[in-house]
Amino acid sequence: MGFADLSTPVVMGILLGGLYALIALGLSLVFGVMRLINVAHGDLVVFGSYFAYAALTLFGIDPILSLILGMPLLFAIGFTIQKFLMSRSFGVSMEAALIIAFGLSLILQNLNQMFWTPLSRGLTTSYSVESFSIGEIFIQLPFLFDFAAALVVMLSLSIFLKRTYLGKAILAASQNKRGALLMGVNTGRIYALTFGIAMATAAMAGVFMGLTFPFSPTTGLSFLVISFGVIVIGGLGSMIGTFVGGIVMGLAQTLGAQFFGDAAQMLIAYTIVLVALSIRPQGIFGR
Amino acid sequence: MKEEFFTPKARWIATGVIVILAVLPLTGIPRAWLLYLFLFFVYLALSNMWNLLAGYSGLLSLCQPAFIGLAGYTLVIFTWSGLPFYLGIIVGGIVSMAFALLISIPVFRLRGIYFAIGTLVVPEVLRVIFFLWRPIGGELHGAGAGYRLKGLVGISGAETYWMALFIGIISIFLVRLILASKLGLGLAAIRDSDSTAASIGIDVFKLKLYSFVICSLMTGIAGGVFYVYQGYVEPTTAFGIRWTMILMLSTVIGGMGIKEGPILGTAVVVFLHFFLAEYTGINLFIQGVLLVTIMIVAPHGIMGLIRGMRVYRLLVQREQEAIECGSHRAGRRSDL
Amino acid sequence: MISSAPLLKNHVQESDHEALLKVTEIAVFYGNLQVLWDVSLTVRPCEIVALIGSNGSGKSTLLDTLSGVIHPAEGMIEFSGRGITNSEPFEIVSLGITQVPEGRQLFPDLTVLDNLIMGSYSRHARSKKEQNLDLVYEHFPILEERKHQLAKALSGGEQQMLAIGRGLMSDPRLMLLDEMSLGLAPIILDKLYQALKEIRERGITILFVEQNVRRSLDEADRAYIIERGRVVLEGPTVELREEETVKRAYFGL
Repeated sequence: MGFADLSTPVVMGILLGGLYALIALGLSLVFGVMRLINVAHGDLVVFGSYFAYAALTLFGIDPILSLILGMPLLFAIGFTIQKFLMSRSFGVSMEAALIIAFGLSLILQNLNQMFWTPLSRGLTTSYSVESFSIGEIFIQLPFLFDFAAALVVMLSLSIFLKRTYLGKAILAASQNKRGALLMGVNTGRIYALTFGIAMATAAMAGVFMGLTFPFSPTTGLSFLVISFGVIVIGGLGSMIGTFVGGIVMGLAQTLGAQFFGDAAQMLIAYTIVLVALSIRPQGIFGR
Repeated sequence: MKEEFFTPKARWIATGVIVILAVLPLTGIPRAWLLYLFLFFVYLALSNMWNLLAGYSGLLSLCQPAFIGLAGYTLVIFTWSGLPFYLGIIVGGIVSMAFALLISIPVFRLRGIYFAIGTLVVPEVLRVIFFLWRPIGGELHGAGAGYRLKGLVGISGAETYWMALFIGIISIFLVRLILASKLGLGLAAIRDSDSTAASIGIDVFKLKLYSFVICSLMTGIAGGVFYVYQGYVEPTTAFGIRWTMILMLSTVIGGMGIKEGPILGTAVVVFLHFFLAEYTGINLFIQGVLLVTIMIVAPHGIMGLIRGMRVYRLLVQREQEAIECGSHRAGRRSDL
Repeated sequence: MISSAPLLKNHVQESDHEALLKVTEIAVFYGNLQVLWDVSLTVRPCEIVALIGSNGSGKSTLLDTLSGVIHPAEGMIEFSGRGITNSEPFEIVSLGITQVPEGRQLFPDLTVLDNLIMGSYSRHARSKKEQNLDLVYEHFPILEERKHQLAKALSGGEQQMLAIGRGLMSDPRLMLLDEMSLGLAPIILDKLYQALKEIRERGITILFVEQNVRRSLDEADRAYIIERGRVVLEGPTVELREEETVKRAYFGL
């Protein structure tokens, strides 16, 4: 096993990292702004995958195209969840929001299972099975798309947050709620918007994830854990951090698979999460 | 309620109830009923412990499946090695306890929400490990990496029931004991605010550790008892989130941070098991909806609702308010 | 401390319909705990009014009530004749009352410029953003110098200037300042109070909350002294300064 053989896993790991960053983005946003761990996040991403699956198998719509419907739908769902469920829990206790999210997770898993059975599915399109080689490096096309999508989304979100009034309001509210409140920001609405945006990114993440890997109603949990890893490593409040976190997780997985076999690949990633949590929970780039 | 519980009248009633429960298997009631009572007491033990952690110590531990699963696998090793199963149960509890001690080092450095994340990851890691690792050679059971427990043929339904009854009752006593002790008061203070508690001289880490460790012991034992009944251990369910779901539901429905909460909550959960047995398809859905609804409508659970009712207040002496009061004030998200 | 001094109500009963802000007998609670009793005050256009009291007297709670963060259980608040007793904070900002909060509550990881821009978040203030920005830079030139630095990199005095500037960006008619002087050196305070006077010259009314009695009486036109949730003295500062009880209690004479 020479180092030349590592080129493929390394490249794939980086590309995979893009996907993971994209998946984790929604969780990071919600946690960064509202200090809320949305444990239903993984399941919401999978829901996005199933939505695209429905569009594909029932109507023959290409998954990426289905985002035109999927993103607004998930945005609305997220907005509603925050406005009517989570906001009520904030005054009760810290655990309340987590428990509600947990309940949502169960609901989603069951819904997905009811409609689609526990069998694994995948978004198979003409391009999702393509691959090509650059020299000795073997690249699967979906991975490239994932990375590109991640770049596009994160760049756009970054611009939105830094250049628009609304975006700045979201940043402000996450840095100092009281300050934002006193400057005339309707924090309730901002939180709902944030959750909505987070869910819209989850919709995208779901589509690209589905193009890359098979999914089933229960895969949400592993994506949740991976997203935690991304956030813990990369920290909050930084797009670059999220990207780096994603890449670390991606590399952990591909290199883990390379050295320890497919079955153990998640183990390496999980262990890294635990280690990172113990050493520096706020992440490399965290505030 | 403590005063009430230990009054002579209450003591007689309690003893009477326990005797009746103990005698039940001999009265020829349907096996299914015994089964549900069995589950009730196992879940009761588990959720009493979780209530202690999440409701009183402010530790939202999503780590319980780790303890349960480890106890299960300990039992596997014991029964396959020809050792008595009851020893296996006890050692299972000890193994869980040791594991709790081990992970407390990294995990307790995490505050609040990060703690929840950390404890969520742990059972997942164990699940993958036990999927790959064969602690004992031999035939596997089922599609995954499951193991059948051996040497359990002679145990009757009654015996497993009595074991469950025993730990269920013990768990109630344990909770009351802890809450009445200095540990309990310390925990209530910690739940309100870590830093404030520290500033008045409470060794926060130590108390949380005690709580965590005691709970893991009991949880492990309860897990062991459960697996004696089930007869096989398999990683996905042993370390699965379903345990956390059951615990959360039981505790939340009854009322987190309220002593009697788990009793009520577990009763509801087991009833739901019974009721929804035919609807395996929407099982999770209903439980999820229940969880969400309760948190929104009655965040302090059924006990919370009952306590709010004037009728209840008139009927009951409420001298042991001090600790319960914490659950109404504590943990407010004043930063939001 | 004066706890049962009779109310000095000189000049207070002047035509109330002139008042920009009129607070009538409000009672405010934190949960079950009452914090303010029977508090009334008026602020007239272009006045500088001081609300003086020690820690725990309830003065910050009063400001939060004016800003809509808390709502009074009893009583009424009117702004320009319009009832705002139960309005939400963002509504109150859009009506023209802005609070510069205690501890400044800046956005630490945003630039000075972004902090200021956030000040103009309210719809009515957005169109005047450039205008107000120039104004702020005039009052506090240092903010223009440091406009691309992160707010957390500023010194205490500069942060306070930024907080005031941010408040100005919301185009207020009434500015509420909570404990502006905490932790700041007298030289800096001089600059800040000077700025307040200039701001008043532009037609903005000021109500500030302070612990420092002497300074407050020097800088304000009128003052209310609040103790343990009640207004115990009020009146023009020229008179309050001479008032025996005040001299004895606060100046140790």
